[in-house]
Amino acid sequence: MSLRLGLGVFGMQSVPQRPEHHVKLYADLLEDAELAESLGFDSIWLSEHHFWFDGYCPADIAAAGAILGRTKKLRAGTAVMLLPMHSVEKVAADAATINRIGEGRLVLGVALGYRDVEFDGFGVRRKDRGRLMDSMLPRLAEASRAADPSYPVYVGVGTAVAAQRAGRLGLPLFADSTMNVGELQEMLAAYNEAAATAGIKPPAKHALQRDVFVTDDRERDWAELLPELRYMRRQYGSWSAPQEAAEPVDAYVERLSGDIEAKLKNLVMGSADEVAGELRRFEALGFDLIVCRSQFGNLPRPLLRRAVEGLGRVRAMVER
Amino acid sequence: MRLGLGPIALARTTRAELEALARAAVAASFDAVWVAESRAEGVGGGLAAAALLSQLVPIRVGAVVDFGDHHPLYTAEDIAVADIASQGRIEVLLRGGTEEQVRLLVEALGGAHLRFEGATLRVPARLEANQPVPDAIALNPRPLQPAVPLWVEGIDAVRWRKGAAAPPTSGRWPVMLLCPGDVAAEDLLAATGGAATYFLVNATSPQDAIAAGRRLVGPLRMPDFPDWVRRQ
Repeated sequence: MSLRLGLGVFGMQSVPQRPEHHVKLYADLLEDAELAESLGFDSIWLSEHHFWFDGYCPADIAAAGAILGRTKKLRAGTAVMLLPMHSVEKVAADAATINRIGEGRLVLGVALGYRDVEFDGFGVRRKDRGRLMDSMLPRLAEASRAADPSYPVYVGVGTAVAAQRAGRLGLPLFADSTMNVGELQEMLAAYNEAAATAGIKPPAKHALQRDVFVTDDRERDWAELLPELRYMRRQYGSWSAPQEAAEPVDAYVERLSGDIEAKLKNLVMGSADEVAGELRRFEALGFDLIVCRSQFGNLPRPLLRRAVEGLGRVRAMVER
Repeated sequence: MRLGLGPIALARTTRAELEALARAAVAASFDAVWVAESRAEGVGGGLAAAALLSQLVPIRVGAVVDFGDHHPLYTAEDIAVADIASQGRIEVLLRGGTEEQVRLLVEALGGAHLRFEGATLRVPARLEANQPVPDAIALNPRPLQPAVPLWVEGIDAVRWRKGAAAPPTSGRWPVMLLCPGDVAAEDLLAATGGAATYFLVNATSPQDAIAAGRRLVGPLRMPDFPDWVRRQ
């Protein structure tokens, strides 16, 4: 199996710097899906959050349905669905149906979720999320295998504990974008050990999410990209508490946006040749699907288009 | 009068069959094409399927949704995304659920800042473990339509029986009648007394859909439909 590239990650956010209506954002998404299909991408990926001011996509399977209606070959994936705050029976029934009428093109990535307000909106205790995941994941895996056609379920992981959970079930990983090569190797080791202990032969290949930006003019694109990345950093940062107890939240969020290089240490940015070389390193670790996040929040359309077309050239280089 | 084709049972329909029926609905001048999930058979995804269908046809798309077994906000979010992705063409018939669940759903779809305190549902739940959480939350994004056409089976809607008089509509939408695919226009008009009605016609093949359209569209949309046109 050769290395496949997915295009992501679409959160459908109406960001403050470009507060477009969601009907425009979803029309753009479907246009981007058609572009991705024409460029030969394996898949396009959606992200999920709930009850946020920018209208972050809360219903990935419904959005995937629209993509599968608009396209013929492209797969649509969730990166990631926050499983413990859902009903696993509903997810399984929705996924099986849309995968069937989408002619086997749905891919589910699932993970824990972390925002208190999202769990609370659905009447779920955040502290129960691990226990819920332990209960739901085997049921979803069984349902995915029983579906006709079956659909893949990847487990989103950023820690060894999460990797061990996936390993015990023999489910493939969907590795978080923030991990470096050393951390990925450690996580894969924890995964394989948990699988061996459970007496399960795990899949040899996994998926990885990576922040990727292909450019033929780094200086020009970085100047345009930086404010968008700063905003994204502030947003995700605001969903976590300050590490220092006395630090006010506003100051914490401001500090995060100034500390952008630390968060983006794993951003792969460069020419198509350079990016292709970087991505091949991950293939050697055991990742045969790399979901390249080139959409950060809601980039200006011309900037995103250039990045996607550049990534299309990378795809042609890495897919043999 | 409005005419919808369906509901097409997702449990027993392939993509090709779905596409063929949807295109027949457009060709036969139906106002909408509908799909139905059946969670008792493990078949969900009615709203996602409607979103899929909306990319294939220019008319409105409806979903019969099994409601009540899951938190209403899941359904609200599915409706909102499907409505936006379809550019405001979603219609919904809820099957099951309590009045409290419907009330929460309608409030959420309308964009209310939710401080919902029902007998069994509380939003935000403000569970002790989830602090701090805001006093209110809202569905976001909201549907494109200011009010998504929503029918509730078993509360306001009725099932059509040949020869039976339909009760008057009690909601903001015309009463919906689920009709067999071979129904005659005269029977429908007699049953409703000419009152504004949404007829959902369950023709199950493209040929039957085309035939139903030819039989029903003219007489239902305009009184005194000319016989010479009917005979053509």
